[in-house]
Amino acid sequence: MLKNYFKIAWRNLKKDKSLFFLNSSGLAIGIASCLMISLYVWDELSYEQSFDNADRLARVVLRGNVNGEELKEAMVAAPVAKSFKADFSQVKNATRLSMVYNPQVQYKNTSYEELKAAYVDPNFFELFHLNFLKGNPKTALENINSIVLSASEAKKYFGTENPIGKRIQFQDIEEALEVTAVLEDLPQNTHLQFDVFIPMQHNTRSTSNSWVTSGFATYLELQPETDLAQLEAQIPALLEKYIGDQVKQAIGISYEEFQQNNKLGLFLQPLTDIHLYSDFSPNTELSPTGDIKYVYIFSAIALFMLLIACVNFMNLATATATKRSREVGIRKVLGSAKKQLITQFLTESILTTTFATLLAIGIMALLLPAFNTLAGKELALLDFISVQNILLLIVFILGISLFAGAYPAFVLSGFKPLAAITSKVSRSGRTTSLRSGMVIFQFVISASLILATIVVYNQMQFIQHKKLGYEKGQVIVLRDAYKMGSERVNAYKEELLQNPGIASISRSAFVPAGETDNHLRGIFKNNTYLRKFFFYDVDEQYIPTLGLELIEGRNFSTELKNESDKVILNEQAAKILGLGENPIGATFERAADAENERLTVIGIIKDFHFKSLHSEIDPLVLAYNPYGGLIVKTKNADVAGILDFAEEKWATFNPEQAFIYSFLEDSFEETYRKEEKMGVILSIFTMLTIFVACLGLFGLITFATEQRFKEIGIRKVLGASVTEIVALLAKDFIKLVAIAFLIAFPIGYYLMQKWLQDFAYRVDLELGQFVLAACITLFIAMATISFKSIKAALQNPTQSLKTE
Amino acid sequence: MLLQLNHIYKWVKQGGKRVFLLNDISLQVEEGEFISIMGPSGSGKSTLLNVIGMLDEFQEGEYNFLNESVHTLKEKHRSKLYKEYIGFVFQAYHLIDELTVYENIETPLLYKNIKSSERKALVADMLDRFNIVGKKDLFPSQLSGGQQQLVGIARALIAKPKLILADEPTGNLNSKQGEEIMQLFKELNQEGVTIIQATHSEANAEYGNRIIHLLDGSKTKA
Ligand SMILES: Nc1ncnc2c1ncn2[C@@H]1O[C@H](COP(=O)(O)OP(=O)(O)O)[C@@H](O)[C@H]1O
Ligand SMILES: [Mg+2]
Repeated sequence: MLKNYFKIAWRNLKKDKSLFFLNSSGLAIGIASCLMISLYVWDELSYEQSFDNADRLARVVLRGNVNGEELKEAMVAAPVAKSFKADFSQVKNATRLSMVYNPQVQYKNTSYEELKAAYVDPNFFELFHLNFLKGNPKTALENINSIVLSASEAKKYFGTENPIGKRIQFQDIEEALEVTAVLEDLPQNTHLQFDVFIPMQHNTRSTSNSWVTSGFATYLELQPETDLAQLEAQIPALLEKYIGDQVKQAIGISYEEFQQNNKLGLFLQPLTDIHLYSDFSPNTELSPTGDIKYVYIFSAIALFMLLIACVNFMNLATATATKRSREVGIRKVLGSAKKQLITQFLTESILTTTFATLLAIGIMALLLPAFNTLAGKELALLDFISVQNILLLIVFILGISLFAGAYPAFVLSGFKPLAAITSKVSRSGRTTSLRSGMVIFQFVISASLILATIVVYNQMQFIQHKKLGYEKGQVIVLRDAYKMGSERVNAYKEELLQNPGIASISRSAFVPAGETDNHLRGIFKNNTYLRKFFFYDVDEQYIPTLGLELIEGRNFSTELKNESDKVILNEQAAKILGLGENPIGATFERAADAENERLTVIGIIKDFHFKSLHSEIDPLVLAYNPYGGLIVKTKNADVAGILDFAEEKWATFNPEQAFIYSFLEDSFEETYRKEEKMGVILSIFTMLTIFVACLGLFGLITFATEQRFKEIGIRKVLGASVTEIVALLAKDFIKLVAIAFLIAFPIGYYLMQKWLQDFAYRVDLELGQFVLAACITLFIAMATISFKSIKAALQNPTQSLKTE
Repeated sequence: MLLQLNHIYKWVKQGGKRVFLLNDISLQVEEGEFISIMGPSGSGKSTLLNVIGMLDEFQEGEYNFLNESVHTLKEKHRSKLYKEYIGFVFQAYHLIDELTVYENIETPLLYKNIKSSERKALVADMLDRFNIVGKKDLFPSQLSGGQQQLVGIARALIAKPKLILADEPTGNLNSKQGEEIMQLFKELNQEGVTIIQATHSEANAEYGNRIIHLLDGSKTKA
């Protein structure tokens, strides 16, 4: 009997090839998108799961609000780990990690850069159970002159030789470090992306007792069944105990007073939340984080794609039911029970779904590389082949078959045999209105997605064309130039200035986009702590090179000596300091190691976006302290030539180091890469969704024209024009699409409003965007409908009349 | 006694008025009979056959089939009854286009959950008997009208019904083919199968041993 079901199902599918094609290709696209996104979501959710004790690890983070300044940091002060372990019985173990900035190592006269290295406490591997290929995790970092490498890093230095016992020279560490252990490369789905681990003692700040400075990613291993919230509640008392004195010393008020006006505290974050639920300032994170919002967005898209494809299936199956009604009738007369017919139809839907799924897996295999580039992932289909997943896929296929096939199966099998045989099965009101409902549903989703795509596109355009307050064009950043040493940088700069194509050069490690130094310093006014301000250490060429606008006072000058206690403020800083009408000459103090420094304002610059448009403009102080690499503004000249020139000169000053440059404009765009990618992904899936929805619409209109074949013929004989007939056929569907707008746009408005909230600077939602979305949707629907209906309308009427 | 209709009324409402399709029909059929129902087009022949075949409902009256009162039975029970005892032959054959001759004949057996080996034997017998073994893998569209009707009859017989209901079985056939089919019915009847056929051909009606005349849903004396 089962075999029979399959045989018949197969023949039926073969018979109506175009229907089968519409059904299975729509489903395949839906399933492929859904599976692909599932892989992505799966990967995003898998972060840190490779640590067997992940559920007992937590990170200590800092949140606070100090005089209006939001603090969100994923790194905390050096003594936190020690104190937490000592004071809290729930904390079984605590460890720290801090990054090594610009590490360099040497082995046998070869030097290596660009490695990912971290200082870690010796007990680090007791918390993070990494896979040791060689060496002992307990003792690996016991000795101060030890080093632990990942397998691929070890291979880089030693090839096939045994790395254990080899010594390599680490920059800024006098004695060579001995390799004591080799780790399996860390998985991609952890925020710990390091290849080299060295003992924490080498970080001189690691023994500091200061609770005010920061810089240590701090992790706790908790006793089983520790309640995080309960532990968190005990933190304030601990803070008061340890930092009360330090606060008083640093800012002159008691901890209690300080907490009255400010909120500052340490909190615990489960390790597994790090990737998706972090909102800490990026420079305190060890690696870029994901965002649960995008996981939701993409999951929703995946689900909708699948739903739309299933709806197609249902729609087409019920619409074409009349074609099958005779068969149903005969079978019933021959003794088929309703149950048997349902099984028959479900078998067809299982076959279609299975075929579609296989097709989908093929599509995925083809498109996964492109998707990976887009999503910044390294997903591989092969990694997902397991007995469990294959079973899951089978359940998935059955689920889809049931979901898509159940309704048509029940409708079809419910036909009364006599009526079915004589084809008196009317287009019953119930199925027609349900079908209309489903078309509306599909176009609600399509129209919403089109709207979303338009809004995202507008926002990206807005960012690109936003007046930033600085000129990002024709600016080359040679950030690494600092490595050649201060004197040589200056000489190199003089050489470059000989090139007539170069307008100006500034020496500074601070740039408004891309990799930059970042200094936040405490500000005092009249000896009272105010808050932290951003400080940019610059030279006198900084303002012209970046095209900043000086609105009051003067720029720094090389002629004048003693510029080091002079500063230029942005408008925001002047406002917060309350400098009023005459800011020039005003003074304030900056926190320093011994005594606070007094600074004098010599100029005010217009606010410019020195951070991304996600955030409001913060107060900024430009101080005269030239260091770091070079920022080169070129004239409207041959940029390639200038780069060649700069590289050539670079080689004469600094042959050991590679010439690395970046365009400020590129770095700027990089800042919005996440949104841009999201825009691209969104538009791709929007197109796919619309395509699938149109497949369904195409199927329905095909069926409708077939059904009205004779009517069309008669109308033509009676003198109807082609347009009138197309209008006749299109009318019903266009009405549905219009209703879809009414539902889609309020939803779209709400969701896009939420998305835009992420940007401090953003476009407004306008009527125009909705009109455009409506037009595009209507146009696509109309095109789909016309394609078929025009053909029907052009048919020779005698032909259609002859068929009866 | 095979079946008995007592004062069957069937009507539809048209513009608030009752239009009678069957009007006070009483009929008793013994096993082994061959009955022809005659009447002009629209007189209610098909309606009556459908009622007897339990495919159609009626509003008033009693219907007993093998001592079961059909009018009180639930749908499920009723379909079990006709699945067991009744075979249909249609004017338009109503073969399933997607199935081969073999499979068309086999279908009723599938719905009776008969084992595969047994099914094979039964279908083979039937193909043999109707001399269509050579055509068993063809699809209905590849057969002539007469051949299609042969398959239709074979299919009706495969489940060994007590009663065959044939609604103008020769209506779409030429006279020679029609005669062959009628001859076949006669043989079947002689083997003991009860047959009720609707027809408007005098000649075909004569094959039966009893003729019932219908006009506007009522039995008339011929
Ligand atoms: N469901 C129905 N609604 C209204 N009239 C019907 C219906 N079914 C049959 N009829 C009418 O009942 C009459 C008898 O039909 P039918 O039994 O098919 O006649 P016959 O088979 O003798 O040609 C016809 O006039 C037909 O139009
Ligand atoms: Mg009739």
